Amino acid sequence: MISREEVLNIANLSKLYLDESEIEDARKEMDGMINFAKKIDKIDVDFKDLPEFNSISNAFHEDEIKESYPQNKILESVDGGKDGYFYIKKFN
Amino acid sequence: MRYDLVVGLETHVELNTKTKIFCNCANKFGSEPNTNCCPICLGHPGTLPKLNEKVVNFAIRAGLALNCEVNLISKMDRKNYVYPDLPKAYQISQFYDPICKNGYIELDSGKKIRINHIHMEEDAAKLVYKGGDTYVDYNRGGVPLLEVVTEPDISSSDEAKEYLEKLQMIMRYIGVSDCKMQEGSIKCDVNVSVKPEGSDKLGIRTEIKNMNSITFMAKAIDYERERHIEIIENGGKIMQQTLRYLPETNSTESMRSKEDAQDYRYFRDPDLVDIVLTKEQINEIRNSLPELPGERFKKYVNEFGISENDAVLLVKYKNVSDYFESAIEGLKNVKTVSNFIIGQIFRSLETEAEKEEFKILTAPNQINELAKLIESGKLNMNLAKKALIKMLESGKPVTEFVSESDMKGISREEMKKMCEEAVKANENAVKDYLSGKEKALKALLGSVMKQTRGRGNAQEIEEILKGIIVK
Repeated sequence: MISREEVLNIANLSKLYLDESEIEDARKEMDGMINFAKKIDKIDVDFKDLPEFNSISNAFHEDEIKESYPQNKILESVDGGKDGYFYIKKFN
Repeated sequence: MRYDLVVGLETHVELNTKTKIFCNCANKFGSEPNTNCCPICLGHPGTLPKLNEKVVNFAIRAGLALNCEVNLISKMDRKNYVYPDLPKAYQISQFYDPICKNGYIELDSGKKIRINHIHMEEDAAKLVYKGGDTYVDYNRGGVPLLEVVTEPDISSSDEAKEYLEKLQMIMRYIGVSDCKMQEGSIKCDVNVSVKPEGSDKLGIRTEIKNMNSITFMAKAIDYERERHIEIIENGGKIMQQTLRYLPETNSTESMRSKEDAQDYRYFRDPDLVDIVLTKEQINEIRNSLPELPGERFKKYVNEFGISENDAVLLVKYKNVSDYFESAIEGLKNVKTVSNFIIGQIFRSLETEAEKEEFKILTAPNQINELAKLIESGKLNMNLAKKALIKMLESGKPVTEFVSESDMKGISREEMKKMCEEAVKANENAVKDYLSGKEKALKALLGSVMKQTRGRGNAQEIEEILKGIIVK
């Protein structure tokens, strides 16, 4: 059972502001979601049997410098940024 | 009521690898913003991180030097939080299976500060705040870090200082980090709480983030201690929270209420595979570790008979200690060399940074040659010191500054003759001495020393002079 406190904590972390009337609804909905997902528990899976996850290990990169992307290319996705930086305007 | 202070430190040590932890971008301080970046360290969709092999090697080195066990299997986890310094909205770190655990650093008092674990992680980007706006430089994003986490074993700000200085020294000795506080390559988060004296139950703690000065860290601990005690004495309750230290006012302010570990929703990073180590690999690294500062300190004090104060100065920087080690080869009395380093050589270096770098013109073998001349009695200390100053200025060997005759020394017969002449030539001084003026003898001594061109032994001359005068 999801508790009222858990709902408030998650809302706080998600920057959501819930009215008193919304808290109980949210609690019930989240409970429903968790219970639905709990069906997965019934599947008998031993993670050790998953080959991809265990057969590969130690994939490393060598400590040798390769050229980075040019600054303008890096900032292309944010309209060129500002003075070479990613830029976040003050918001209220 | 009396209270015990309880402190635990989480120290971030930036590794001096050539590249970042998950990509081949340069790990470099002071570049133009966003010039050491690529889609991997910017967390673009579809990219795959790959762990830097050197980071693993350095983490093992650090673990062994800090008396830790190294885990044969370790894994990377995601620590989720949303902030502009992390483009992926999670930091790749280690939570469930860190690479090293259960170590310690021993303080001078013999007290051991236990290390819970060491984990590898990526640094976040640097945020610059200007006029309320935020500018982000991702050059630091993905720089490799080790986080060294202690148990709450520290019970004073002095112990915290000593622990951090020792950690810094060890990391430099094993060559994994420069630990430059001013460049942020070592910084720590400090957990502080107080409890009634002798009580087993820990108090509620506050965490001071991002301390990048040892002095301020000590002040912050002392400030928090007083603040906690005051709240408790007034019947209040400490709020568990994350704080920032303000050096201008020597106080702390709240940053945010402390997240619990579960708020970070740690889980295994499916992009990164297990790190599997062998005992052979670990032993190989163990054998490649240099002699550590603690071991050298003990050797200098116990075997060489150097004072503790001097030994501290010798081991503080690896370059100094290495220089000393190679300059004392084949010498019976190594104190001459330690005195030269702490005396004449340190005086020629103005800043701590210069001492740390220890780039001087005189090679260790030249100091060795000088010390051997003294040891064999060919050169007296007076002339040796004068020669050393010239050697340090020019980088030339001792033979450039002392002549054959300087190295011959001077016989007792010759000295006696000089003394007799001096007594004859300075009747007034002799009278003064006989009437009780001790100083008069010094004048005579000075004139004879001058005549020997510094080769004579002052004590011996004084003795001869007294003998002549009293007769």
